[in-house]
Amino acid sequence: MNTVDLLEKAKEGDQKAIGNICRDTWEPLYRFIYFKVQNREEAEDITQETYVKTLTYLREHQTSPDNFLGFMKTVALNVLRDRWRQKKRRGIPVNFEAINPKEAAIQDHQKAVAQRIQLEKALTKLSADRRAILDLRIIKGYSVAETAKLLGKTEAAVRTAQYRALQALARLLDEHE
Amino acid sequence: MNELEKKLSDYIDDLNAEREPEKHQGVADTPELENLLSTARIVRTLREPAMPAPGYPERLAQAVAHKIPKSKDAEQKMIHVKSRRTWFFPSVAALVAGLLLFAVLSNWYGLFNSNAVYAMEKAVAQLSNYHGILEIRSQNAAGEEWLIRRIEIWSEGDKYAVRQDDGTLTVNNGTQKWQVRTQSKEVALLPVAPDSTKTGFDLRDEAKKAKEYPHTVVGSERIAGRLAEKLKISPPGGLPYYLWIDTETNLPVQLQTAMQNALQTTYTFTSFEPNIQLDSQIFAYQLPEGYKVVEKDPGQLVATVEEAAAISGLTPLLPEEAPVRIFAFQDRIVLDYGDTTIVETVAQGSFKPVADSALGVAAGGLLEVWGERLRWRQEKLEIQVEGEQREELARQITADLKLPNNDQDLVNKAQIKVPVDMEIVKADQEQVDRGSSPWQLDPLHVAFTFVNLKVTPEGIQGEPEVPFSAFKLAVNNGVQAVVQTTRGPIKKVYLERLVRQDETGIWSVVGYDPR
Repeated sequence: MNTVDLLEKAKEGDQKAIGNICRDTWEPLYRFIYFKVQNREEAEDITQETYVKTLTYLREHQTSPDNFLGFMKTVALNVLRDRWRQKKRRGIPVNFEAINPKEAAIQDHQKAVAQRIQLEKALTKLSADRRAILDLRIIKGYSVAETAKLLGKTEAAVRTAQYRALQALARLLDEHE
Repeated sequence: MNELEKKLSDYIDDLNAEREPEKHQGVADTPELENLLSTARIVRTLREPAMPAPGYPERLAQAVAHKIPKSKDAEQKMIHVKSRRTWFFPSVAALVAGLLLFAVLSNWYGLFNSNAVYAMEKAVAQLSNYHGILEIRSQNAAGEEWLIRRIEIWSEGDKYAVRQDDGTLTVNNGTQKWQVRTQSKEVALLPVAPDSTKTGFDLRDEAKKAKEYPHTVVGSERIAGRLAEKLKISPPGGLPYYLWIDTETNLPVQLQTAMQNALQTTYTFTSFEPNIQLDSQIFAYQLPEGYKVVEKDPGQLVATVEEAAAISGLTPLLPEEAPVRIFAFQDRIVLDYGDTTIVETVAQGSFKPVADSALGVAAGGLLEVWGERLRWRQEKLEIQVEGEQREELARQITADLKLPNNDQDLVNKAQIKVPVDMEIVKADQEQVDRGSSPWQLDPLHVAFTFVNLKVTPEGIQGEPEVPFSAFKLAVNNGVQAVVQTTRGPIKKVYLERLVRQDETGIWSVVGYDPR
């Protein structure tokens, strides 16, 4: 069965077709979402919501996009935006009208590359101590207690230092924008 | 400590634990803090993403399929297959089954969907594995309580291992199933499929039922040291029971059945570790030293149908869709489709549908419809299809499958209507739920009793006036039935399942035709 047929069946709620589509497309979509939210729980949640919203939308509008993954990434971005907004205010629907999958996905990829370059540049401008604390706490994922032990500091000092390091990094990133 | 520093640190801890921070910590309340949280996320993009636990695509597909409503055509097809049955660990099942296996007559999703139940459904869908200790206790009406059993469960996808108090360990790793009996020092090899012995307190099933039945949150309590929300669940026509949901993991932690026959059973996970690294050795078959193997045709996993045919001596009838696995036994072939199994054996003797089954037509003969099972005979084989895709797969084997049509009004034709007191019927249903008078589940027995009480209103003493052999089930669509008699003053008895329209619902006489 080809992708178009699969999609048609999935839109109608066919469990097997949904299974095949999820199996074939979940990973790039999940990685894309994870990049934004940086935690597995939320990434899994949004991945699921994205499939549901995409298939429901495609069914209601009797349409099938050429680039399914691109379309889903755009839906995912909208879901993310809505979630971030909804944390302050409830009930904003996904704005499907604004979807231009190819454009949005390409723009987002370019943005991600630019962000990476900026980040690496900004990190080199931080002091070695600040880089070390961000490396241990965020990139390597050590707990406050473990980081304190490794750096010979108190836990309170680690919390203060990571706060300041992120403040300094945020300023550097803002300068770039 | 500075409040903002703590919030930021907790946020980083949540990300490191791969948890959604806002859910656990609340929302950033200042633009400055939001900016720092966002910077922390950006820094974190330098590390590789944490990928979901094994089995995620399958769980994802299941959750998505559940939320995409089927199209009208598909709904029409599904109209006869509303009831769902889930398998439990058998001895546990005996205790809970009566209470929990009510068919779903209506879907209450949306109307009663509280946050706790929604969160539980989500948590269960995301559960990749767990290890826990389940305690089963009974309480009597006098308030005395005692421990019945304590079992240890390891579960991952379709694999599971269950250790009983006496050390007996039952494992199914998807390709093999065995039981290590410590007392007799033997290992029994068991058939992998169909497997009716999954874990006891089935979390997925509980979440599903809680969602489908009317329910209310009635408070919160500490269960095994964890804070849990207590949910009162009221199955249609049955007594309410309680489910406790852990507020931290959102997973069911305790189940308490209704008091039946002055006895009540409580299932509690006294320890529960979800989504952990399970030791793969637990699902690996190895014969402990000094143990002997007891083998009673456990079947073997084969690659092709031809192989299965050679081992079993059967020529099976196959659906178009290929099974996930094929098992061959000396006298049968089992085709496993994950959520559905097909068992084919040589037909022997005459075909006798179970008394309380609904009847349809398949391959020109009788089709037995009982819960999630379809059974019929075709080309000298007896075919049994059980599970969610039963109808679809059965139709691929026999084109003329006709399920009982429960939209058809069978009882309207009765010449004499019998008035029914619903209060009495409901009380009778509860009595049957408690295990008394099971004959009320069989339309033949109900008709037999009704006719004989008409003949001898003072009660049946000794041999009944109209013998049981004079009664024949003419039609049964699962909701209504007609029984014909060859003797006595009544020609036809019309019956209906008035409280619950599934295999747990009792039959009541609603009319008859005099001879």
